[in-house]
Parts: sequence; structure tokens; C-alpha cells
Amino acid sequence: VKVLIIEDERKTADYLRQGLTEQGCSVDVAHDGIDGQHLAVHHDHDVIVLDAMLPGLDGFELLRSLRAVKNTPVIMLTARDGVEDRVRGLRAGADDYLIKPFSFVELFARLQALTRRGRRQEATLLRVGPLHVDLISRRVVRENQRIDLTAKEFALLELLARRQGEILSKTTIAELVWDMHFDSTTNVVEVAIRRLRAKMDTPFAMPLLHTIRGMGYVLEEREGAHPVRP
Amino acid sequence: MSRRSIALRLALMFSAVALAGFALIGFAVHELLARNLARHQQELVDDRIEDLDYMLVHGRSTDLADRVRDKIAALTGDGRTQYWLWSKDPAWQYGSDAARMAEATRTVQGSMLMPVGADMRQFAVAGRDIAPTAVHPPLRLVAGVDIAPITQILRSFEIRLLPVMLLGALLVAALSYRVARVGLKPVAQLSADARRIGPDTRQQRLRMVPLPLELDEFVGSFNSALDRLDAAYTQLESFNADVAHELRTPLANLIGQTQVALARERGAAELGEVLQSNLEELERLRTIVSDMLFLARAERGERASRCVQVSLAHELGKTVEFFDMLLDDAGVKVDVEGDAEALVETSLFHRAVTNLLQNAIQHAPRGARIHARISSKGGEAEVSVSNPSEPIPPELLPRLFDRFYRADASRPNSDANHGLGLAIVKAIAAMHGGRVFARSEEGLVTVGFTLALPEAAGPQVG
Repeated sequence: VKVLIIEDERKTADYLRQGLTEQGCSVDVAHDGIDGQHLAVHHDHDVIVLDAMLPGLDGFELLRSLRAVKNTPVIMLTARDGVEDRVRGLRAGADDYLIKPFSFVELFARLQALTRRGRRQEATLLRVGPLHVDLISRRVVRENQRIDLTAKEFALLELLARRQGEILSKTTIAELVWDMHFDSTTNVVEVAIRRLRAKMDTPFAMPLLHTIRGMGYVLEEREGAHPVRP
Repeated sequence: MSRRSIALRLALMFSAVALAGFALIGFAVHELLARNLARHQQELVDDRIEDLDYMLVHGRSTDLADRVRDKIAALTGDGRTQYWLWSKDPAWQYGSDAARMAEATRTVQGSMLMPVGADMRQFAVAGRDIAPTAVHPPLRLVAGVDIAPITQILRSFEIRLLPVMLLGALLVAALSYRVARVGLKPVAQLSADARRIGPDTRQQRLRMVPLPLELDEFVGSFNSALDRLDAAYTQLESFNADVAHELRTPLANLIGQTQVALARERGAAELGEVLQSNLEELERLRTIVSDMLFLARAERGERASRCVQVSLAHELGKTVEFFDMLLDDAGVKVDVEGDAEALVETSLFHRAVTNLLQNAIQHAPRGARIHARISSKGGEAEVSVSNPSEPIPPELLPRLFDRFYRADASRPNSDANHGLGLAIVKAIAAMHGGRVFARSEEGLVTVGFTLALPEAAGPQVG
């Protein structure tokens, strides 16, 4: 995935570049609006991360001029979460926006959502190592053992399995499993993960569902992973 | 004169009133004088007639006609008096135009005004018939008095009255300006008082003691406005202190942990631990900052946009479903009753209901039942959540919605919500044109909010 980051704050740009590169993206960075506009117009990117407040040419202006020639998906970063900024951004043609302070996991999730659009393959059987999730019969089997899940537990596992190897934040999980679109401070997701883990991980030798402290959860088969107690 | 001085306005109004008063008095005096002068004029004419009448009635000498002429000549020497005598006998005729004068005065009672002589001066004239005697035939005696001195008096009175009146009005204006300035002195004093009030001297008020009645009420309301501002200011100050305090704990953890970690060589795993712990603290900071920004938006009067018409029971049900596992763990059940259709921004509605439910679960004992109710009346929908709880004193109920207020002081940093949960409910209610309420009765604590229904005050759809 080719990403262009247009952000004047060096520290932000640097960690975004590093983080996205390590997630397998190829990243271009521009530190002001003029450079940003040049790169955005003359090179092809899969997605652009655009700060609203930029020296030279402000984010909204840049977006407007970009939209005149191209439809590259754009995520706006704004420091103010007033409706005006949001509306202005969306009206100028932004596909999504994030309000500072945002978490990197959140940004990455949104980036993937934007680049995945339209090319999602609809698998009916998901595999994570020894774990098999059949989306049609709604059966979960691990090492020949049938695992009974409630509807919500199944929905949670399905999400984690579809996005295996990807860290999912609590906010993303709450959004996609329960349709709760806000930054919740409840520990609902923790409780749900604990329950799911108790059914599909704890009875087995190798843990598949991992907690990334402060970020979220990831379902993947890891070499040399140790059993985790709930 | 766009900014008018009160003293100047008072002075102008007083002098206008004075001018009107003077005019009234002047008019009355003028009328009185004119009437007196008219009577005086009548008397003068009567006296002139009287002067000759006696002679004509009682005179018996044969040369009476000559003596009368002499007498008339003596009386009219100053030119201010004129006599006419008319009879059929030419010997008893005197004055030019005597026949006309005799005829003219016959038709009026008292005196009349006539132009007399070559210079046509105004004379007051009156006539009298004198019965015949042995020495003369029937006569008509007419006397006239020049009224110029009398009209002169009236004229000069009029001429003097006008400047005196204007001068008086000016004097009144000047005096009342001075008086008003003196009377308004307390206002200047109040303004001096007010000038001394600033952020550092918020406790100061305008002095009440020696004030005129009229200013009493004003100063009272002004002082109570200052009281309200002072209270808001104090609240803001303590709020800032609260924010600083909330941020201090995670910051201290971050700094301390990082310093301890860097004080020695550490393995990658150990450093990873520290970073993860730091990240948790940072997440906490982020949540507080985001929530504060959210509250600030609501405070600025921002309204919910992206509203859709939904069944509140349906949305509430979704939120309860979100809590299912948590409720199960806490051994608490929730029942939902009632429904209403309303225009809401669903994510905000979910957030408000989540915070209410979270609050209820936190305070409900194990095995309790939580009631979520929806009703609509009088142009608003009401959503409330009740849970069995220790009663809350009525004076503390409104404070539940204060930022960082925690009824349970023993859990100052329970990581859920940072004490902003119900403040956010209040903000969301305000964004939908509603308000919040809290009740504590019969072992149940009920907390809820209202939403304006579209007919009453529809939130803008945008």
C-alpha cells in the first residue's frame, strides 16, 4: 500500500512513517502544503494522510485542488473537532477524518478500511492456525473440538479472524461488533475478549488471541507463544 | 447629541417646564392688566363726561354756552381729551363731526374706540343725553379720551414679559443642571466603585449604604449579577484545578516510570513492559482530553448534527445488548419499558445511554434490577435509568452532572469515565435541546435526560 503523509509536525510525521513502513506500507512524507500538493498530484498513492493546518497551503485548499484532478482516498487529521472543521473537511472531499489526539491503531484501521474498500474477498471458511471458523454454518472448531459461542462471541471471533494479524482497537471492535460509534470507556470489549478467550484459547496449548496492551487485540498464530491466563 | 447627559436632559426638561409655567403666569397677568386698564379707560371717559354734565344740568346763567366752551377749552388743553356737543340749536353745537359722534355713541353701552381727528388717533368715546333746561335745548354730550398711554402700558408690559420669561427659563436651566449634577453624584461614586472591581478583587461589591432609593434596586441587581459571575468564575477556577489534578496522576506515572526504566540498562522485554504501561497512561490522558473537548463543544452551544428519526427503545435495546456480558458478570438485569420516536444523532444517544447504564451498574448491588424507561410528554422524550441504591441527599443530586464530581470519594481514580460520564450525558442532552435530571426516592436512584421532539424544537438536520 502506498501512503502519502502530509504533516508539518516532524515528530508526528516521523512516527507515522515508521509505523506505516513497519506495517508494510511504502510511505512518502511532505512537511508542507506546497510539497504535499506536488507529491499528491504527480504521484499515485493508495491513500493520503493530510493534516488540516499546514504551512504554505492549508489542508482544505490542498484537498480542493487535489479533488479537481484525482480521487485518491484522503484521511484528514484535525486538531479541532468543531463541526465546522469536520464539515469543511468532508465537503472538500475528505473520505474520513481523525481528531488529534488519535491513536496510531485507529489511524491504521481507517487506512486499511479505505484501501480495502471494493476489494474484500468473501471467504466462507476462515483459518487461524488450528482454528477453523465456518461463517455459513457458524461453527467453530479447534483441534477437532467443537467450540460453542454465543452470537456476539461469534461476531467478535469472526471480526478478529477476518482481520487476523491486524491489531484491532477496542473502539474498532465496539464499532464493528456492537455498532457503537463512540470512544467507549466501558470494559465491555475486555469482558467479551476474556469470555471468548476462555472458550477458544484457554483449553488449548497455544494462545491465538493476544492482548497488545494499550492498543487492542490481535488474532494470529505466533511461533513460541506462551499460554496466557485470562 | 448621540450620548445625552442625564444632567443636561434634566436641565432642558426643567427649563421647558419653567418656560411653560412662566408663560401661563404671564398670560394671566396680561389678561388682568388689560381688564384693569379697560376699566380705567372707561372711568376716564365717564369722569370727562361727569366734568361737564354737572355744569350743563345745574347751570342757569344765560351765557352758559360760552362758559361751557371755555371749560371745554380748559379741559382739552393737553390734547388728550376731546368733547363734542350736539343739539338742533347751532349755538349748542361743539366739535367737528359732532352729529356723527352723537349718533355713533348712541348705539353702545359704555365706551367705544374710534379714530379721531386728522391724525386718526384711537380715542375711547362715550356719550350721554342731557335733558333740556331753561337755558338750553336737549343736548347730547360726547367725551373722548386718548387711549395711547393705556395701550402703551400694555405694550411695554408685553415687551418686557418675553425676555424676562426667557431669562427665567435660562436661569432655571442653569440651576437645574447644577442641581442634577449634585443629585447624580452617587452615580459617579458607583462608577468609581465599579472601576475597582477586577479579577483580583472579585469579592468587592458596589456599596449599598448611603444610596438614594432610585439607585438601590439597580445596585442590588448589579451586585447579584456580580455574585453569579463570581460563582461561575470560582467554578471555572476549581474546574481548571480539577483538570490539572486529573492530568497530574497519569503524567506523574509517565515521568516516574520512564525515569526508573532509563536509570539502568534494561532488556528489551522490560522496556516493552514500560512502554505498554506508559501507553495505558497516555490513553487515559487522551480520553480525558477528548472528553474535555467534547464538553467544550457542547458548552459552545453546538447542536447535534446528522440526526435521524429513530425508535429510542430500539437504540436503547442495542446499548443494553452492548452491555450484556458486563451485566452478566455483574449479576444485574436491565428491563426496558416504553418507547418514543425522536430525532437523534445515534452515536451520541448510545454514548449517553452507555454512560447512564455504566453509572447504574457501578452503583447497583449484585442481583439488582435496573429499569430503563422511555416516555414522551409535552414536546420532549424522556430517557431514564434507575437502580437500587443508597439514597443521595437532594442537594447533591444536581452535582452528579458536574465534571469530575464523584459521589463515591473513596474511588477517586476508578478508571471508568474519569468522573466525566454524567457531565457528558448532560452535554449530549443539551446538544439535542434537552436537559438532565436526577431523583432519589424509595431506595431507587433515577438519572436521565430529555430530548426535544421535532415538533417542539427540532435539532437541525445537517
